[in-house]
Amino acid sequence: MDEKEMFVNAYRTMVLARTLDKKIVTAQRQGRVGFYTPTMGQEALQVGMSMALEKDDLIYEYYRDVPFMLHRGVPVETLIDQIMGNSMDNEKGRQMPSHYSAKEYNFMSVQSPVATNLPLAAGAAYAIKYRKKKNIVVTTFGDGSTSTPDFHAAMNMAAVFDLPVVFLCENNKWAISLPVEKQTKVEIWKKAEAYGMRGLKVDGNDLFAMYEVAKAEVEKTRNTGEPVLIEAVSYRMGPHSTSDDPSKYRTDTIPEGSEGDPIVIAEKKLKEKGYIDDAQIEKIKNEAKELVDRKFEEREKVPPPKPETMFQDVYENSNWIIEEEKGDIL
Amino acid sequence: MVQAINSTLDSFMARDDSIILLGEDIGKDGGVFRVTDGLQAKYGTERVIDTPLVELGIVGMAIGMAVSGLRPVPEIQFQDFIFTAFDQLVNQAAKMRYRSGGSYNVPMVLRTPYGGGIKGGLYHAQSGEAYFAHTAGLTVISPSNPYDAKGLLSASLKYNDPIIFLEPKRLYRSMKNDVPDEDYEVPIGKASLVHEGDDLTFVTYGSMVPLVLNTVSKNNLNADVIDLRTIMPYDGETILNSVKKTGKVIIVHEAPRTLGMGAEISAFIAERAIDYLMGPILRVTGPDTPFPYRLEDYYMPNETRILKAVRKLQEYR
Ligand SMILES: Cc1ncc(C[n+]2csc(CCOP(=O)(O)OP(=O)(O)O)c2C)c(N)n1
Ligand SMILES: [Mg+2]
Repeated sequence: MDEKEMFVNAYRTMVLARTLDKKIVTAQRQGRVGFYTPTMGQEALQVGMSMALEKDDLIYEYYRDVPFMLHRGVPVETLIDQIMGNSMDNEKGRQMPSHYSAKEYNFMSVQSPVATNLPLAAGAAYAIKYRKKKNIVVTTFGDGSTSTPDFHAAMNMAAVFDLPVVFLCENNKWAISLPVEKQTKVEIWKKAEAYGMRGLKVDGNDLFAMYEVAKAEVEKTRNTGEPVLIEAVSYRMGPHSTSDDPSKYRTDTIPEGSEGDPIVIAEKKLKEKGYIDDAQIEKIKNEAKELVDRKFEEREKVPPPKPETMFQDVYENSNWIIEEEKGDIL
Repeated sequence: MVQAINSTLDSFMARDDSIILLGEDIGKDGGVFRVTDGLQAKYGTERVIDTPLVELGIVGMAIGMAVSGLRPVPEIQFQDFIFTAFDQLVNQAAKMRYRSGGSYNVPMVLRTPYGGGIKGGLYHAQSGEAYFAHTAGLTVISPSNPYDAKGLLSASLKYNDPIIFLEPKRLYRSMKNDVPDEDYEVPIGKASLVHEGDDLTFVTYGSMVPLVLNTVSKNNLNADVIDLRTIMPYDGETILNSVKKTGKVIIVHEAPRTLGMGAEISAFIAERAIDYLMGPILRVTGPDTPFPYRLEDYYMPNETRILKAVRKLQEYR
């Protein structure tokens, strides 16, 4: 893929992610979806990172990584199935919306307790190193998640054991109602030094800047086997979740379509480089809308999982206790 | 229930400046369930602290405050997220009085929403009361209605040992009953007989109390319904008195069956009142699986399952 094609494709994913995001938020308001954590604002940094990766790299993502997943080829319907918790869902409808899983694309299943995926990423990287493979692990998390013991443990162990992990902090400036300045006294990227790894900050709203940094750092990590902490500075344009009311705690916003919106920033640069014009932009947006609307209506009709699935996968082999309870309940 | 807890915290904070609230999003935002709404505006950021995202730190700091003469009320946003703080609870809070020969104690009321019924899936619906009840030194409470929430919280805020105050989130908005304005306490360690009858004893607590009461009244069951209110130490006397009268027991909780509170209570009854029993002690509980999202209704105990247990016991006379 040449550079032009690569960036236009990245832009297309950002638009698709945004379109899906808005569709789900609207559907939630209409009572067609239970809950959702919007991604709006974090498209550029996720796609920029994804562009720098190989197919066999492993991703220990968090609940806002829809653009990341779409860019690596996860089909829209896979995400919608998870949101619906229907019988086609990879997770058999067991998890709340926004907790995706896509093993085929090397995405780990998402958990709610934040940052608990980080030590796992270090473990996965250890396995890679042990088997002398060349792939790497990327793990993502929010600014709030850097306060957890899991962040500390994972950073420390990845550094101590020289593990190929890219810690991508998606600093969207807020952890529900807590602004990042009250989360930590130092800039997040600076924490890397204390653990003994590379650390840097990048404008995560600029697709081009993000890709450049991601490419360089991923390459270093792949070649040296050493970890890095990248702080991608962005902004949570929407509410924390569909249950959240940001007017309780903040007034500053980046409205959609304003000049701080990563999609607007990408459009501007793509046009400057002559990679895209207004007609193409319009076409990409229309195609995204058509695809999302079509898939959404289609997947909404998928039936819920069968009740007996609730009792599966607790262990490889079920036991008499679970089987007895299944008999009692069904 | 949200209102009862909020106003109780408010009135105690007004009187006692040693009470400090700390947790994630509890200040400006008023808590994700709005339980602490307005308290930061009233008492300031020093007394209602929006903390960084670290449960271990919230609980650890609260314990430190408590041993130093304050009365912290930490909030864990969802009980499911308490586990990084479990070490602090089990190895510091619970053992402080004992290990210091009684010279230090931890007057802390840890509040946290728990349980299912709001489509929370694996990590916003768990009922972990047994983990805490299994730890010597912790006192575990769960109110089933706004009146008890105020009374139990009032008693807790005067108690000198660590309390795990489990708030059934399903009842936050749905349960309304009259809460008097004046002060009163619901004693810790005392159950409440919320319905009286002769044929059967239900032992339950938290979110299952309204379900059991509904089932009893809808089906005209002649049953005692015991709302434990305090899970640890549970009120053995009230349980035994009822069981000796009815000879039949059904224990209902949301938490998984194996080693849940039902297991402890059945053993307790078997040890002391087996001669009075006319049939097996039955449990209606969540199954031993994680808590599912879409199939939540199959996980939660319901009227049908309770009636199935009732019918089974009716075979014994
Ligand atoms: C251990 C833990 N505590 C609390 C929560 C509740 N919670 C969910 S998301 C969130 C804020 C996370 O902020 P951040 O890490 O910045 O990610 P963002 O949501 O902003 O993308 C909180 C407190 C949780 N999921 N896990
Ligand atoms: Mg954030």
